[in-house]
Amino acid sequence: MHISEIKSELLNEKYYKVKHDSGLTIYVYPKEGYSSTYAIFGTKYGSINNAFRVDNKDVVRVPDGIAHYLEHKLFESEDGDAFSRYAKTGANANAYTSFDKTCYLFSCTDNFEDSLEILLDFVQSPYFTEETVAKEQGIIGQEIKMYDDSPSWRVMFNMLMNMYHAHPVRIDIAGTVESIAEITPEYLYTCYNTYYNLNNMVLCVCGNTTLDTVLSIADKMLKKNEYHKIENIFEDEDDSVVSPYVEQCLPVGLPLFNLGFKEKAGKKRPDVKTLACSEILLFLLASSTSTLYRKLMDENLINASFSYEYMEGEGFLATIFSGESHDPKKVATIIKDYIQQMKKTGISEEEFEIAKRATYGDCIAALNSTDHIANLMADFYFSDREIFEYIDAISDATLDDVTDRLNNMFDIEKSTLSVIKNAE
Amino acid sequence: MSKLIRRSITDSVTFNTIKESRFKTTRISVTAFLPLDITTAANNALMSLVLTRSCEKYPDFTVLSRKLSSLYGASLSSGFRKMGDVQALTFSISGIDDRFALSDEIISKELSTLLCDVIFNPFLKDGLFDINECEQERRQLIDMIDAEFNEKRIYSSQKALSIMCSDEAYGINRYGTKEDVIAATPQDLYTAWQNMLKKARFEIIYVGDSDSSMAFDVFNSRFSEISRTPSVLNTQVVKCAENVKVENEDMELSQSKLIMGFRTEIAEPDEDVMAVRLMCSVLGGTAHSKLFCNVREKLSLCYYCSSSYIRSKGIMLVESGVERENIEKTKEAILGEIKAMQNGEITDEEIEATKMSMANAFYSSCDTVGGINSYYLSQMLDGTIYTPQQAVDKVNSLTKEDVVRCAKKLTLDTVFTLTGVQSLEDKEV
Repeated sequence: MHISEIKSELLNEKYYKVKHDSGLTIYVYPKEGYSSTYAIFGTKYGSINNAFRVDNKDVVRVPDGIAHYLEHKLFESEDGDAFSRYAKTGANANAYTSFDKTCYLFSCTDNFEDSLEILLDFVQSPYFTEETVAKEQGIIGQEIKMYDDSPSWRVMFNMLMNMYHAHPVRIDIAGTVESIAEITPEYLYTCYNTYYNLNNMVLCVCGNTTLDTVLSIADKMLKKNEYHKIENIFEDEDDSVVSPYVEQCLPVGLPLFNLGFKEKAGKKRPDVKTLACSEILLFLLASSTSTLYRKLMDENLINASFSYEYMEGEGFLATIFSGESHDPKKVATIIKDYIQQMKKTGISEEEFEIAKRATYGDCIAALNSTDHIANLMADFYFSDREIFEYIDAISDATLDDVTDRLNNMFDIEKSTLSVIKNAE
Repeated sequence: MSKLIRRSITDSVTFNTIKESRFKTTRISVTAFLPLDITTAANNALMSLVLTRSCEKYPDFTVLSRKLSSLYGASLSSGFRKMGDVQALTFSISGIDDRFALSDEIISKELSTLLCDVIFNPFLKDGLFDINECEQERRQLIDMIDAEFNEKRIYSSQKALSIMCSDEAYGINRYGTKEDVIAATPQDLYTAWQNMLKKARFEIIYVGDSDSSMAFDVFNSRFSEISRTPSVLNTQVVKCAENVKVENEDMELSQSKLIMGFRTEIAEPDEDVMAVRLMCSVLGGTAHSKLFCNVREKLSLCYYCSSSYIRSKGIMLVESGVERENIEKTKEAILGEIKAMQNGEITDEEIEATKMSMANAFYSSCDTVGGINSYYLSQMLDGTIYTPQQAVDKVNSLTKEDVVRCAKKLTLDTVFTLTGVQSLEDKEV
């Protein structure tokens, strides 16, 4: 077992990173004075992993929506579900599936050890039968339908479907009513055995606990897993977008839009420096302090719902501007013109400094929250980053670095606009 | 832990301090409580938004935003909500603690001064709010009202409440009406602002590590310049439903929504409020509740089915998203679970598990700055303000008999369904 202590002089805080003998990586971030503790047990396996190869054997392809289906099914075991076990400890438990990870979590103020045992136990105890798999189709079917009616969800996926030709980030995380009908216990076991190997997982704990407490439970609950090489298979993705515009009609009071810029992505995810500079750039470009935001507001084109996001994962990288507008096309034109203009004139030192400070402050403030820290540690582990290095990268960022990002992040030719509006 | 110290500034103006060294940020919020009234609600809502847009010292939205960004991304915001038949306008500011400044600024001092500036010294032109500033916020508020329709889960529960409380002030939207937002003039907003300063009850909540006495002094001196006659705040409680109101709306959706509104007979400041909270949570407040286990998991009828309790009004809402042909079945299943509770079919495990998860929620709510602020703010109109520990003790003193007694008081008032029609399936048929 290897334990490293990771410190921040600036914040006067530290956390531990442990490579456990079982193969699992464990992060423990103690928070003095907090009453709650938040724990996440996650696997680097999400909706985009629908084709894979283990130890150079044959490629396996599985139906869409399996990662999410597994998330639902793991809560169940032969003798009742995990929720009823947590009911005895008082923990508040949940789980989520994203494009590239599935995380099981709980927060608690009492009985932490018992809750951690439950978490480590149920995620490691798959139990699927024809009957239980079939039963879940009703609940997940309703979940899919709820999202089909959600304009903010649809506007994003329509955009992704129009941005990516082949990469599975274009597919809804839960799959479709049709694809989940193909799911069998065998598929679930195949995916489970591949991705729920402890070498492919992480446990992150933040709050009112100690390293020793977490390790004693880990020693008790984890058995050594043999390492296997997992390769995620993605078809080649063309640099272009599928088409520059898509719209769908849904009952809405105000049209919604997502404007996405596609960036060339590799297998390796961006490092802390690239991530920090992208966040600073987006702040100076589109936050409420920016000239662009002001212009869009003054022309009555956006409202407070306007936001931006740098979305990245294995094989996908995109910047997304989203919001509500009576004229999304005009918003898109103004944003693109503004970016072109900024590429010509460059970024002012003042704008850069303000954006850097604000990004830095946001990042510090976010470290108040145990759930934010635990989620960030999990995400950063899967992308090979460390939290304190990221904070340093923000304070070390230079105007040149950020200008460099400006030139790489936005290719107007590779942008696509998605709109949801009311039927005429 | 997270103890609240209340200090009176003047009649109905109180400064609350929660001293906390655990966090990296300080947050100050000022909430003005006014009677929820159809003639003033829209003006108040719009006024609250215009105030945080600029101030005399930073008379422009972008200038003010840059000031905030240079304070390490401090954030200033305002919002309005209903707490019973009361409209609450909240202005808040937060920023990182002085000790994290990259140079030696005193951020906490700047935060309290800036918050006072926007509330007491707005940017005025010829003695009125600037028409352009008003227009921008008006447009955005109208956008927000229009966009509330987008998420059908929120839309359907709000619709159910407006049907249920059509004869009560609570039936008014938290922003009044769209028509009144459109009609509000700079003069109306000025009057609303003056009215707020003179008549609202104010609660100032300071959460942070740095000394709050300076902020206290700033607010104390600003309020001492105003002659005040605070309004009386009341909330009407309808104890039980006479008959069931049933309404349906068809919409082009793939999933239907079923909302059931109940009268509970118990509302603040009744001694039994905590017992109703427990009862509501046993029914549908957790992932081990009756509704989750039986209606979602066993019957596989819906992805969500949950209950919530509005303690200021004594209302319980049960919400679910279901297939159109399952609406009746789900309704029967929900009523069946309530009937079971009324008959005492509740296990000790259910009671204990729910108590534990409520305790967990009370304690955890005070592990963030925003959480502490919301936890106490939500209690400002209650009969008693509980610390998390006191709330937990109160829950733990309750028994199954208390839960059954409260369940027996439930009367169904309103059933609202949003029925999905012309979905893809319909077209195929």
